[in-house]
Amino acid sequence: MTFINKLKDFAVKSPWLYRINGGSCNGCDVELATTACIPRYDVERLGCQYCGSPRHADIVLITGPLTRRVLDAARRVYDEIPDPKVTVAVGVCPISGGIFRESYAVCAPIDQYFPVDVNVPGCPPRPQAIIEGVAKAIAIWRQRL
Amino acid sequence: MNFLTLFARNLWHGPYTDVFPFGPATTPEHLRARITFDPKQCEGCRLCEKVCPAGAIRFTRTPGGMTFDCWHATCVFCGTCEFYCPTKAVKQSNDWHLAHEQGEKYAQVEHGLIPNQICVECGAKALDTSPAVSHIKPPLSETEVSELRARCPKCRNKYLRSRKTS
Amino acid sequence: MTSQIATLLAVLLFPGGLFALVLGLALKGADRRVAARLQGRVGPPLIQPFFDLIKLGFKRTMVPTEASETVFLAAPLVGSVAMLISAALIPIAGVYAPDTELGNLLVLLYLLAVPGICLMLAGSASGSPYGAIGFSREMALMLAYEGPIVLIVAAVGMRTGMAEGHWVTFSLTEIVRYQQVHGWFLFDPIMWPAVAAFAFFYPANLGIVPFDIPEAETEVLEGPLLEYSGPALGLFKVMSALKAVVVLGLGIALFLPLPFTGPLAFVGWLVEIVVLMLVGVTALRVSAGRMRIDQAFVFFLKWPLLLAIASVAAVALAAGGAS
Repeated sequence: MTFINKLKDFAVKSPWLYRINGGSCNGCDVELATTACIPRYDVERLGCQYCGSPRHADIVLITGPLTRRVLDAARRVYDEIPDPKVTVAVGVCPISGGIFRESYAVCAPIDQYFPVDVNVPGCPPRPQAIIEGVAKAIAIWRQRL
Repeated sequence: MNFLTLFARNLWHGPYTDVFPFGPATTPEHLRARITFDPKQCEGCRLCEKVCPAGAIRFTRTPGGMTFDCWHATCVFCGTCEFYCPTKAVKQSNDWHLAHEQGEKYAQVEHGLIPNQICVECGAKALDTSPAVSHIKPPLSETEVSELRARCPKCRNKYLRSRKTS
Repeated sequence: MTSQIATLLAVLLFPGGLFALVLGLALKGADRRVAARLQGRVGPPLIQPFFDLIKLGFKRTMVPTEASETVFLAAPLVGSVAMLISAALIPIAGVYAPDTELGNLLVLLYLLAVPGICLMLAGSASGSPYGAIGFSREMALMLAYEGPIVLIVAAVGMRTGMAEGHWVTFSLTEIVRYQQVHGWFLFDPIMWPAVAAFAFFYPANLGIVPFDIPEAETEVLEGPLLEYSGPALGLFKVMSALKAVVVLGLGIALFLPLPFTGPLAFVGWLVEIVVLMLVGVTALRVSAGRMRIDQAFVFFLKWPLLLAIASVAAVALAAGGAS
């Protein structure tokens, strides 16, 4: 049992990130790219890696207020991600709707469609705040493994 | 061959990375992040509620007074509230540690209460707001401000008028 | 019987199997770490690929409903096993010489094509349009680079064989032994076209950045690997780690085997392979941008093929002039 736990402790050091753009303005997506590409933030230190395919993902980062058009596609992509997975809402739009709140065209907040685990508010959030959110998500992911 | 010099520099200098998740983070002094509210300084003009583009700020009349609530999960950190606040009761700090788990989503609120008080002159119940004194000439002294503060809006007007005539 | 056990050990333990796997994963880790350092970042820990593998073991393998399940699940397995066997075919100068019964350079050439074919099968079996695009790109790239590598190997074999008195040799052990006596082919002007052609071949075979067109994650979402998850994806990672060891080991055996024996030779080989990985793969990967598939195809049919033909011609002419 302790051996399995030890292995899980190792496994948790390799969270692969996948981002779903739910009709975002791209501000948050730029900050997500910044966390990986700018030497100052370097999310790869935590073992994170942005992967192109939802099948490889462990931590899902959802940006944007989830426009009505993208809702169906986003839910289908979300279901493609194998368990165990952790969902992080990045930016104020997915958390509450932000400045798009109560618009007829958006489905925010997204927690009525996805089981969100961690929220990272900001418009856009600071890259370091995103790293903090990912670190929180990793702690949750460890419990689910 | 530009990239070779870049490689050499990066190898020589070492990484430029912040220690953040494993240590303290560097934060710019004027970063616009968490909103703070000081009920002692609030005038009760509710201008911030009016100008907030995301509708994050809400004032509510309660039996105990007037409450201020700013929900950080919808605030876009534009800084308009601080800009328009006449007494700078609403301020933006540079504390960006706002990431939270889903259970704490509705606890991400900056809460403040402007309490009710009894007017010293007429005995009516009114809000203990900071008096709007910045435009008054000649400027009020400290004691005059505190006298003004202890009154209800009607009695404040009366007080200022009597000050003008005397 | 003992020789069979020795062969089995060579495939499963050293230099194939466990040793090659650990070395390949460590090389990948060093590659990621040094790439991060070249970009001014800290990067993941050295043993990050091991963490990745363990993580993938805990995940679930999903098989798409459109996929052909048998081929979909068999492809990574076949690729990894082919790489395990070919790792045992690579001689380490002064330490290990492969059993002649296990195979020679020709077998190695066929086995080297297996991972590419497995990726193609995986892409087409996954039933995803991205996989299909990855399949067609992988095939185009393989068509482009398989020609040069055959000619390179032929040139090296002819050079050794003619010097030894017969026409051509396909024994890597003999090639290594010849170079241990007569010096590296790397410093032999007649072999320079072959060295240059090999320098173009290995990035394409390893699928690193200028030629990672089939698995471009920004264009075709990792192409053939798109539908894979969990242990099956882990097997593909194992395959690519082993492939790094095999292809770089082949390069060392063909052009720069060390003239030592014993532990010194082993340490020297390790140093060689690490240096090749860091200079040849990491620095290239970090400094180059991805080519388009048509550009890469035309490029491979132009320069590496030309260089490979030139090397065969040069070897033949040199042998003709000497005799």
